[in-house]
Amino acid sequence: MYSSRRIKDRLFIAFIASVSILSLVPLFHIMIAIAVNGVQVIAKAGLRFFTDTPPAPLSRDVGGIAPALFGSFYITLVSLPITVVLALLASILSTEFPSNIISRAVDVLSRSLASVPTIVVSMVVYTTVVVPMRGFSALAGVIALSLISLPYAYTAFSTALRSVPQIYREAAYSIGMDRWRTVRRVLLPVSRRIIVTGILMVFARAMGETAALLFTVGRYRMGINIDIRAPTDAIPLLIFDFITTPFKLYQEIAWGAALVLLAAYLAIFVSVKVAVKEVRL
Amino acid sequence: MMYAVEIENLNLYIDGRHILKNISMNVSYNTIHVIMGPSGSGKTTLLRTINRLIDLVPNARITGRIAVLGRDVLSSDPYILRRDIGMVFQIPNPFPHMTIYENVAISARLNGIARSRRELDEVVRWALEKAMLWEEVRDRLNKYPHELSGGQKQRLCLARALAMKPKLLLLDEPTANIDPINARRLEDAIVSLKDEVTIIMVTHSPHQAARVADSVTLIYDGYIIEQGPAQVVFLHPSNEYTAKFLRGEI
Amino acid sequence: MFKSKHDRLFFISLLPTSITIIGLLILFLIILVFHASTSIGVFGLKLFIESIWNPENEMYGILPPIIGTFIASGIAVAVSLFFSIPLSVFTVEFIRGRTRELVSSLIELMSGIPTVIYAIWSLNTLAPYLKTYVMEPLYEYLSFIPLFSCKPVTGLSVFTAGIAIGIAITPYMAMLIAESYRSIPIVYREGCLSIGATRYETTKILLSLSKPAIVASTVLGFARAAGETTIAAVTVGNSMSLSWCLFAPSYTVPAIIASQYANAGLYVYAESVLHASAMVILIATLILSFIGLKILDEWRRRVVV
Repeated sequence: MYSSRRIKDRLFIAFIASVSILSLVPLFHIMIAIAVNGVQVIAKAGLRFFTDTPPAPLSRDVGGIAPALFGSFYITLVSLPITVVLALLASILSTEFPSNIISRAVDVLSRSLASVPTIVVSMVVYTTVVVPMRGFSALAGVIALSLISLPYAYTAFSTALRSVPQIYREAAYSIGMDRWRTVRRVLLPVSRRIIVTGILMVFARAMGETAALLFTVGRYRMGINIDIRAPTDAIPLLIFDFITTPFKLYQEIAWGAALVLLAAYLAIFVSVKVAVKEVRL
Repeated sequence: MMYAVEIENLNLYIDGRHILKNISMNVSYNTIHVIMGPSGSGKTTLLRTINRLIDLVPNARITGRIAVLGRDVLSSDPYILRRDIGMVFQIPNPFPHMTIYENVAISARLNGIARSRRELDEVVRWALEKAMLWEEVRDRLNKYPHELSGGQKQRLCLARALAMKPKLLLLDEPTANIDPINARRLEDAIVSLKDEVTIIMVTHSPHQAARVADSVTLIYDGYIIEQGPAQVVFLHPSNEYTAKFLRGEI
Repeated sequence: MFKSKHDRLFFISLLPTSITIIGLLILFLIILVFHASTSIGVFGLKLFIESIWNPENEMYGILPPIIGTFIASGIAVAVSLFFSIPLSVFTVEFIRGRTRELVSSLIELMSGIPTVIYAIWSLNTLAPYLKTYVMEPLYEYLSFIPLFSCKPVTGLSVFTAGIAIGIAITPYMAMLIAESYRSIPIVYREGCLSIGATRYETTKILLSLSKPAIVASTVLGFARAAGETTIAAVTVGNSMSLSWCLFAPSYTVPAIIASQYANAGLYVYAESVLHASAMVILIATLILSFIGLKILDEWRRRVVV
C-alpha cells in the first residue's frame, strides 16, 4: 500500500508540473509569434513605421502607424491624472472613515463598475458624449478610459494605504499630527512603492484597452489631431480593425503594431518590478 | 490645577465588554507615576484613553472624567490635545521613510517649537541628548532608522516625543521589546526627565516599577487594586493581590 | 459624528471626489437602462427568444448571441480551470524562492497583456491549429455527436472563441485561486503533514478546503469571459446561427455589439436592441460578480480568519 501511495504522489507531481508548464506555453508562443512577425514588418518599413500614416489597402508601401501611436499616448496620458486624482482622494476617504456610508457606497459601486464589460462603457460614453458632440473625439476616449481605470486604481490605492502598519499612524497622532498631515506625511510616503506600482499598472491597462475605444475615438488615421475634441486613433484599435480586414498588407501592419504594443507593455511591467524605490520598514 | 492628570470614575466599554472599571487616579506634576499590573489587565488601554488614542478602536464607549493639565480630555479636540502629550510605544515605531534627524525635527517643527534650521538643529540635539542617544548617532543623522538597533530605535522615539516639549509623557511598556542593557539606559533617560515633564509609565515588571516610580497604581482585570506613593505600596502593601504581584506570583 | 473639527473639515474636503464617482456610476446605470428600454418596449420579451438580425426591416431577435456568450464562457471557464488549478498548486506548493517569484511574475505579466494581442494570436495561430488538429479530426470521427456534427470551414466558431478566451483568462483565475490557496492558514497544512500525508493527499485536502474559493473564482472568471470583446469578435465567426454544433460560427453579445453598433445608428431600433443585449450581459455579470465575491468573502471569514 505504501508504494502505491508513492506512485500516485509521483504521478501527481508529474501531472501538475506538466500542465503548469503547458499553461505557460501560450505566453511564450505569443511573444515569439509577435516578435517574429512584427520585426519583419517593421524592418520592411524602417523607422517610417513610427512616423507615417497607414497606406491604402492595396499599396506597396507599408506606411506607418503614427496617428495610432500619438493617439494612444495622448488619451492615456490625459486620462491618467484624472483617474489617479479621483481614485486617490476617494481611497483616502475610505481608509480614514471606513464605516461611513459614502465610503461603503464607493466600495460597492467601484466593484460593480469593475465587472462591467468595457464595451458597455464604450456604448454609454457614445450615447452621452459622442452623440451630443456630433462626432467622435479624443475626449470621449479619455472619459471612457477614466471610467474603466477608476475601479482598479481605487482598489490599488486602498490596498496600498491599508498596508501601512497601524503603529505608524499611532506614532503620527502621538506627535500631534491631524488626519490630513498623517496621510500626507506618513501614510502616502510609506506606501509610495505600491501606489506608484498601481499608477503604472493603470497606465499599462489603459494603453492596451480596445473595446472602450471602439465607439469613442473615431479611428481617425489620416493624420494627427491635437485638438481633444477631434477624433483620433489608438494602437489596440488599429490592430483590431486591421486584423478583421481581408487585406494582407493590413494584417502585416497589425503584427507590427502588436509588437509595438507588446514591447511597451513589457517595458512598463519590467520597470514596475525593478525600478521603484522601496521603503525599508 | 492640583494634579497633572486627574481621572475620576472612568469606565470604558469596548463592544459592550467592560474593560476599565471605575478608575480614579491622580498624578502630580513632575513625578514618575507607574501603572503596573499583569498582562491584559487594562494598563495600556488606560494609558491610551488619556491621549485619546482609544479613538482608533471602533465601538469604544467612555464614561467618567479625565482632565489633563487642567483640560477635560473627553470633550477636547483630540488632535489639539495630543500636542501637549508625548507617547512612546511598546514596539518602536520611528518613521521609516524619514532620516533620524527628520524623525525628531518633524515633531518640533509641527508643534511650533522650532522653525529655522539652526533652531531645529538645537532642538534635535537637545532631544537626542536627553534620550541618551546623541553620542551614538551624531555622525549619522541623515541615515534611516532601520539601521538602528531596537533599543536605539526606542530612544529615537523618546527623542521624537521630547522634541515637541510635551508637558506630559506617556510610556507604554517602553522596554518590553529591547535587551536589558538598553532597557536600563532607557530607564536612566526617563528618570532624568522628571524635572521637565510629568511621566506616566506602564509596565508589567514590579522590579522596573520599583526602580523608577515615585507613585504607583496597580491594576488587575480593569480594577484599581491599590495605589499611592511608591515607598508605601512597595514596603507596606495593604492588599493580598499587591503582595502577590510584587512577589512575582501574578 | 466627528470627534473633532479637523476630522469634519478633512472629510468634507474629500467629499467632492467620492460624490463625483458615485454620481458618475449611478448616471452610467441609468443611461444604460434608459436606452435599452426603448427596444424592449417595442419588441417585448420576444427580443430575447428569437433569432433574427434584419435591421433594414427592423426585425430583431438576439437569442444566438446570448446563448453563444454562455457557451463560449462555459468552455472558457472549463479550459481555464483545467490549467489554472494545477498552475496555482504548482506555484504555491512545489516551487520556492526565486523560481516562485519568477513564475508568479510571469503569471502576473500574462494577466495584463492587452486582449487584442491574444486576439491577433488567436486568429492567426490558434484558430488554424484548432481547426486542423482538433476540430477536423473530431468532425471526422465523432460527427454522430451533435456537438461535433458540422464541418469546420474557417475555424472560427464558438468553440474556438471559448478556447481562446479560456487561454486569456487562465492567468487571472490562476492568480485568484493561488491567492486563496495561499491564504489557507498554515495550521491545516501542518495538520496534513503531521499525519504523514503525501504531497498528493495534502493537496487534495487543501483543495477541498478551498472549494468555495474555487467556485467563487469560477464565477468571477465566467463573468470576465462573458464580457470579453476583442478575442470573441475575432474568433467567434460573427454569424447569427443557432445550432447544437460547437464548430459552427456564431455570435457572442460583445462580438455582435462590436460589429454592428457602429452601423446601428442608421436604423431605428438597432442601437436600442444592442443596448438591451448589453444590459442582459451586464446584469448577468453583475449578479455573477456579486455572488462570486460574496462566496469568497464568506469563505475567507470562515477559513482564513
